[in-house]
Amino acid sequence: MPPMSKLYFLLILALSLNLSAQDDLLAELEATSLPDTEYAFATWKGTKVVNLQTNEMPGEGVLQYTILHRFGAFNQDFVYNFFGLDNAQVRLTLDYSPKEWLNLGLGHTGFRKTYDAFAKYRLFRQSKGEKTMPVSITGFSSVYYENQKYNDGIVRNTNVRLSFVNELIIARKFTPNISAQIVPTLIHYNLVETPNDNNTVFALGLAARYKITKMHAITIEYVPQFNPNSYQLPTVTGEAPSTENFSNALSIGIDIETGGHVFQLFVTNAQGVAEPYVFAQNTGSWLEGDLHFGFNISRVFTIKKNK
Amino acid sequence: MKKSIILSLSLALGFAASAQKLSTRNAEVSFFSETPVENIAATNKQVSSILNLENGEFAFLVPIKAFLFEKALMQEHFNENYMESGQFPTAKFTGKIAEYKGLDLKKDGSYKLKLVGTMTMHGVSNEFKQNVMVNIKDGKLHLESDFIILASDYDIEIPAAKEDNISNSLEVKVNATYE
Repeated sequence: MPPMSKLYFLLILALSLNLSAQDDLLAELEATSLPDTEYAFATWKGTKVVNLQTNEMPGEGVLQYTILHRFGAFNQDFVYNFFGLDNAQVRLTLDYSPKEWLNLGLGHTGFRKTYDAFAKYRLFRQSKGEKTMPVSITGFSSVYYENQKYNDGIVRNTNVRLSFVNELIIARKFTPNISAQIVPTLIHYNLVETPNDNNTVFALGLAARYKITKMHAITIEYVPQFNPNSYQLPTVTGEAPSTENFSNALSIGIDIETGGHVFQLFVTNAQGVAEPYVFAQNTGSWLEGDLHFGFNISRVFTIKKNK
Repeated sequence: MKKSIILSLSLALGFAASAQKLSTRNAEVSFFSETPVENIAATNKQVSSILNLENGEFAFLVPIKAFLFEKALMQEHFNENYMESGQFPTAKFTGKIAEYKGLDLKKDGSYKLKLVGTMTMHGVSNEFKQNVMVNIKDGKLHLESDFIILASDYDIEIPAAKEDNISNSLEVKVNATYE
């Protein structure tokens, strides 16, 4: 560098040092002190869409109670059954997050007097910045014990009363208002109706939500099965018995958030409430009008406070 | 020629030395909302700030997601429904001490100073004037301030159903020790 340009360089350096405006102070702060990785949050309002789990779980130290109802179908003496209320199916769950990434819960479902235990665990979080991850990935595993009494004299031991569900929830919050997820799902029954039935059924849950206001969102959920089992239709005299595949669960709903509660109101073709009955043993069909009005209500209690 | 180089070099160094800046990365900002139904409090200990001792200019940078609440869900709603921190991740203040006459770090003492500037939050900028207490002790500068912010001034909407729980008028406390 010739001496003259060196001089200019120094002069410019001196001048630039003198130009420390307020905005430069802010730029200095922004460059040095913002977090390197930003995580997506509130991808969904609730821990369930309708029947599928979401990647959301209550915060660490939070206890959640949910009440899930599926009313009688619109095409089953709807008014006579007091708008489906008289033949509603109910499920109750209680879960707790001992860790920020882990949620454990217990549930009871009226259908076949089923008890269940479940675990939800966060594997990856959607993030941008230094650590970039396009999706959040969360696992859900549950075991169900069917406690129904039978008077047919057949002994059913514990083993045959068990079924299992695993969901891998791959979710993405695309914009503040639009989120979607795909959920590879595996449903396993220790006991199935006939030797030809699949003990394990694979399904691929698809769900999306659109927030219409800060407190309200529209949700849609569809869970197609790859290898559905079939069930026998009621026989009509004179005709050969016929079978039909179990239906794929399709639900459309609205989420309403009110502080500590999330209310989810929806229409679904699946009444069994618990996952094994909803995803792969569902006899309801949208086309035949087997639609059920339903709701999920959650309430959270902070047991262990932050700090 | 050589002289002028030395001159400009010393000038540059002189500027560099006089542009004395103090900063902190763990200043505290907390706020409090009080209604007959519910009190809500949150604290943020990841606030950064910088002060130019030469001209009294200040900047604050507040990462919104770093506000910690007692209840996890409250924190989520604060970010998702009110501050919309996905879109507006930080609150900022830039400004200066009015009628700045310099601060001597070598001399212990307390001063009541006036800070004027611009506060930007939730994508809205407002003029901001506030008295601050500055304490200098053992070569460290400590700043304290209390003020009220109206959520409505920053287009932070509190739905009618939540008006009983969340106050529009928020009491803010700032505490910063610069090094």
